[in-house]
Amino acid sequence: MPETATISTIPAQALQALRRIVGETSVLSAHEQVLVYECDGFVIEKNTPDCVVFPETTEHVVAIVKLCNEYKIPFVPRGAGTSLAGGCLPVGGGVMIALTRMRGIHDVNLRDHYAVVGPGTVNVHLTQHLKGTGFHYAPDPSSQGACTIGGNVATNSGGPHTLKYGVTVNHVLGAEVVLPDGEVVQFGGYTEDNPGFDLTGLFVGSEGTFGVCTKVIVRLTRDPVAYRTMLGVFETVEDATQAISGIIGAGIVPAALELMDQGIIEAVEPAFHFGFPLDAGAVLLIEVDGLEVAVDGEAAQIVELCEQNNAREVRKADSPQQRDLLWKCRKKAFGAIGRLSPSYCTQDGVVPRTKLPEILKFITEASARHDIRIVNVFHAGDGNIHPILLFDERDAEQVKRVLLASDEILNRCIELGGSVTGEHGIGVEKINFMNKLFTEADLETMEAVRIAFNPTGLCSPQKMLPTAGACGMEHIEKSHPARRAAL
Amino acid sequence: MTTTESSDEFTPTTSDEARDFLAENSAGAGRAIFPVGGRTALHYGYAPTQPGFAFSTLRLNRTIDYPARDMTITVEAGIRMDELTEILKAEGQRLPIDVPQSSRATLGGVLATNTSGPRRFGFGTMRDYLIGITSIDAAGKTFSAGGRVVKNVAGYDLCKLMIGSLGTLAVITQVTLKVIPQPEMSQLLWCAAADWQAVEVALENLLTSATRPVALEVLNAAAAHEIAAEARLDLPSSGPILCIGFEGAARETEWQAETMSVELEAAGICDVAVVADAESLWFALTDFATSSDEPLTFQANLRPSRLVEFSELATSAGVSLAAHAGNGIVIGHLPDEVTTLDAAVELLSPLQALAHEADGNLVIFDCDESWKQTIPVFGQARQDRALMQRIKQQLDPRDILNPGRVFTKNAMSAAQ
Ligand SMILES: Cc1cc2nc3c(=O)[nH]c(=O)nc-3n(C[C@H](O)[C@H](O)[C@H](O)COP(=O)(O)OP(=O)(O)OC[C@H]3O[C@@H](n4cnc5c(N)ncnc54)[C@H](O)[C@@H]3O)c2cc1C
Ligand SMILES: Cc1cc2nc3c(=O)[nH]c(=O)nc-3n(C[C@H](O)[C@H](O)[C@H](O)COP(=O)(O)OP(=O)(O)OC[C@H]3O[C@@H](n4cnc5c(N)ncnc54)[C@H](O)[C@@H]3O)c2cc1C
Repeated sequence: MPETATISTIPAQALQALRRIVGETSVLSAHEQVLVYECDGFVIEKNTPDCVVFPETTEHVVAIVKLCNEYKIPFVPRGAGTSLAGGCLPVGGGVMIALTRMRGIHDVNLRDHYAVVGPGTVNVHLTQHLKGTGFHYAPDPSSQGACTIGGNVATNSGGPHTLKYGVTVNHVLGAEVVLPDGEVVQFGGYTEDNPGFDLTGLFVGSEGTFGVCTKVIVRLTRDPVAYRTMLGVFETVEDATQAISGIIGAGIVPAALELMDQGIIEAVEPAFHFGFPLDAGAVLLIEVDGLEVAVDGEAAQIVELCEQNNAREVRKADSPQQRDLLWKCRKKAFGAIGRLSPSYCTQDGVVPRTKLPEILKFITEASARHDIRIVNVFHAGDGNIHPILLFDERDAEQVKRVLLASDEILNRCIELGGSVTGEHGIGVEKINFMNKLFTEADLETMEAVRIAFNPTGLCSPQKMLPTAGACGMEHIEKSHPARRAAL
Repeated sequence: MTTTESSDEFTPTTSDEARDFLAENSAGAGRAIFPVGGRTALHYGYAPTQPGFAFSTLRLNRTIDYPARDMTITVEAGIRMDELTEILKAEGQRLPIDVPQSSRATLGGVLATNTSGPRRFGFGTMRDYLIGITSIDAAGKTFSAGGRVVKNVAGYDLCKLMIGSLGTLAVITQVTLKVIPQPEMSQLLWCAAADWQAVEVALENLLTSATRPVALEVLNAAAAHEIAAEARLDLPSSGPILCIGFEGAARETEWQAETMSVELEAAGICDVAVVADAESLWFALTDFATSSDEPLTFQANLRPSRLVEFSELATSAGVSLAAHAGNGIVIGHLPDEVTTLDAAVELLSPLQALAHEADGNLVIFDCDESWKQTIPVFGQARQDRALMQRIKQQLDPRDILNPGRVFTKNAMSAAQ
C-alpha cells in the first residue's frame, strides 16, 4: 500500500476512544478507506484524513470534538463532499467528521412555517418530503440531489431560484452547533428576532470553521401558484447578457434567470434532446412565478425585452413536463460536461449585473490566451458567473494553464467591483484571494471573530482566512507540499 | 475636528476624521463612545455605565455610489431614512423596511437596532438587504465585509453580526444595500373580527390563501383606535382588527384584495374595508412602535401559532398592541394606569412566561430607567450569550463602545 505524505497525528488511544464513541464500524482509518475522502468537488488539492468518523447524534459529535481537543487533533466537518472550493480538504490530516448519518427530518410545522432537519439531510429529500404541503424550502443548489443541508448552511449555498428568493442564510431560522470546544449552543430558534447578535446569520457561510452544525431549523416558503418558464435563444452571448440587463433594469425580478452558452449547449443537447439549437450563441432560461394573474404580464414583458435585444426566438414551456425538462437540462448541465472533457474546474465569480457582458468577453479572451476551453452555465440574474474550464487532470502543463486562466478571471471580477465567490466559498481554493478582496484590517477583524468561536484553530484549520489555524502549521507545511506551493 | 468639550459630542464630517478621533481616544484616555444617529431609540437597552462622548454620524450622510441598474446603493450610515427613500424613489426603487420616525432615524441606527415593520412579512428584514458594510472599531480600525454585489460568500458575514449589535461592536460608517423595484400599487384591507377566535381562524386560513400578502398585522381595539386616528381614517375599532397588505402590479394587487375579501367572508369576517389610498395607514402602522408617554413599551417574539393567545392575554391586561402576526412579533404599550414598578412587573410576568414558553422572549424598548434594575431588558438569557460576550471582548476589549447598554453585570444577573 503506498504511503501518503500525511503525518499521522492520531495516537492509537485516540482512535480507540473514537471507536468507543461511535462504534467500531463508524470509524474508517485504513488507507484505502480514507482515500475516498482525500478531496471533495475541488480536485486540484488532495490530502487524506487520518480517520473518518460517522456520528449519529449530537452527543457523538460533542464527544468526538472533546476528544480532538484533548489530543489536539485538527478536525473538519464534512457533508456530502460536493464543495467546489476544497472546504472539506483535511489540510494536515486529522479527524474528518462525516455528518451523512445525521440525516432526518425531525419536525415539519406549517403553521409556524419551519422544519427541523439533521445536518446530513440531503437537500432534495426535504424538497420531496414537503411536496404536496403547499410549502417548500427555497434554496435549491444545482447539486441538491447530493449536497446536505448542513453543507448548505456552512457554505451559504445559492441556486437558480435564489435570484428572487435569496440564498441559504435568508431561509435559516436557527442552528444547533457544537462549538470547537465541544459546547452545544443553539443560535436563533423557532422564532424570529431573538435578542442579541445574529449568530445564526454569522454562522451561515462560516465554512466549518465555527463548529459543527448538528441541527438546522429552516424556514418554509409557500409554493408559488403559477410559473411561466421560457427559453430565450440568442445569436451571441453579448445579446443574451444585454437582455438580462434589460430585464433587471426594467424592475422585473424573475424567479430564475440562467445563462447557458454554446459550449454547454453542445454538452447537454446530446444528453437530454430538448431541441436546443446547437448554433445559438447562448440561451437564457427564464422563469417567473407568483400568482396566476401576475405571471402572464411579466412573461410578456420579458419576451418583449428579449426581442428588443435581438433574441432569435423565445420558446415557452407549455406543460409541466416541458418545464421539468428545461430545468433538468440546467441542473444536470455539470454532469453532462463529462462528455466534453475528462476533468473540469468550475469557477464562481460575481460581478455587478451590468458588468456581465464585460466579464464574458474577458473569459473568451482568457480562453484563447491560455488555450483552455471554457464553457459557461450560470446564475446570470445575480451576476454570478460559473465559467467551467475543461482540461485533463493528468497533464500538469494544462493544470497550470487552468489555474492561470482562473486567476485572471477572478482578478478581473475584483477589478469590476465584484467578488471571487458567489456561492461555493473560499475553502482552500481561494484563500489567496482574500487579501485582494479585503484589507489587512478586514482580515484581522474576521480573525478576531474566528477566535471567539474557535480559539485553538483546531476546527477546520487553514480554511477561509489566510491566517487561520495557528496550530499544526508545521505539520501542514511538511505534509502538504501542494499547499505550500500554492501559498 | 469639532469636538465640543462642553456637550461632549463629536460630529465627524468624514470617515477619516471619525477614524482619527476614535484612534486618538483609544490611544489616550479611552473614554466611552456612544454612537448616535437620529436619537430616536437611545432609550433602548440599559443606561450607559460611564460618561463619555456622543459620537454623531449625522454628517456622514453622503451617497457614495448608486448604480441603479445593478439595484444596489452605497451610502454613508448617517443618512436619514426619508432621504434614502427619496433617492431610491427617483429611480423607481426602494428598501422595503418600515422605520418609525423615518424623518429622523438614520440608516446606521436602523441597522444597529434591527428595526422592521409590517412589510417584514413579505420582504424580510435588514439582514436580507445589507450586502456590504464598513465600520470603525473602538481602536480606530476601519474594517469592511461583504461587498457591492448581490451574491457573495467571501469571508465571514460581518454584515449579519453588525445588524442589531446596538453600537456595541463598532461604529457603522458606510453601507451597501440591495434594493428592489417600487410596486405599482399598494393596498391594505382593514378587517374587523368579532373576537380573537375569529382572528385565529382567519390566520390559519391564510396558510392556504390563494393570495400572497406582504403584511399581516393584528391589532387589538386600543391599538386599532390609535392607528386609525393617526392615519386620519374612519375605520371600525371596536374589536380585534386584521390588517392585510398587498403590493405589486395593479391587476395583481386588486385581484388579491378582492380574493382575500371573499376568503375572509368564508371564514366569518365580513366587515372588510379596502384602503386603496393606503400611505397614511402604512405610516401609522409603522409608527405604532414609537413609544411616547406610555409607561413601558415592549416587543415579544413568539411562535406565530401562539400569537393570538398572547394578544388576548395582553389585551385583557390593558395593553395596547399591534403584531406582525405572520412573524410572531408583538409590540405592546402598557396602559397609563401602570405607574409603579410593581404594577409593571405584575402585568408583564404572565406575558414573559408565555413568550418563553412559546420559544420566544420579551424585550423592553422603553421604560423608566430605574425599572430596568428589575425587569430584564433583553428578556431571558439565552445559551449563546457567553459567545456573544466573547465576540464583544474580541472586537472591543476595553468596552469603550456603549458600555453597559447590552453587556452589564446588571443585565446578566437580572436576566438569569
Ligand atoms: C455539480 C455541482 C453543482 C453545484 N451547484 C451549486 C449551486 O448551484 N449553488 C451552490 O451554492 N453550490 C453549488 N455547488 C457546491 C456545493 O454543492 C455546495 O457548496 C454545497 O452546499 C455543499 O454541500 P455538501 O453537503 O456537499 O458539503 P461539503 O462539501 O461536505 O462541505 C462543504 C463545507 O461545509 C462544511 N460543512 C459541511 N457540513 C457541515 C456541518 N454539518 N457543520 C459545519 N460545517 C459543515 C465543510 O467543512 C466544508 O467546509 C455545486 C457543486 C457541484 C459538484
Ligand atoms: C427595540 C426597538 C425599539 C425601538 N423603539 C423606538 C421608539 O421608541 N421610537 C422610535 O421612533 N423608533 C423606535 N425604534 C425604531 C428604531 O430604533 C429607529 O427608528 C431607528 O432605527 C433608530 O435610528 P436612529 O438613527 O434614531 O438611532 P439612535 O436612536 O441614534 O441610535 C440607536 C442605537 O443605535 C446605535 N447606533 C446609531 N447609529 C449607529 C452607527 N452608525 N453605528 C453603530 N451604532 C449606531 C446607537 O448607539 C444606539 O444604540 C425601535 C426599534 C427597535 C428595534
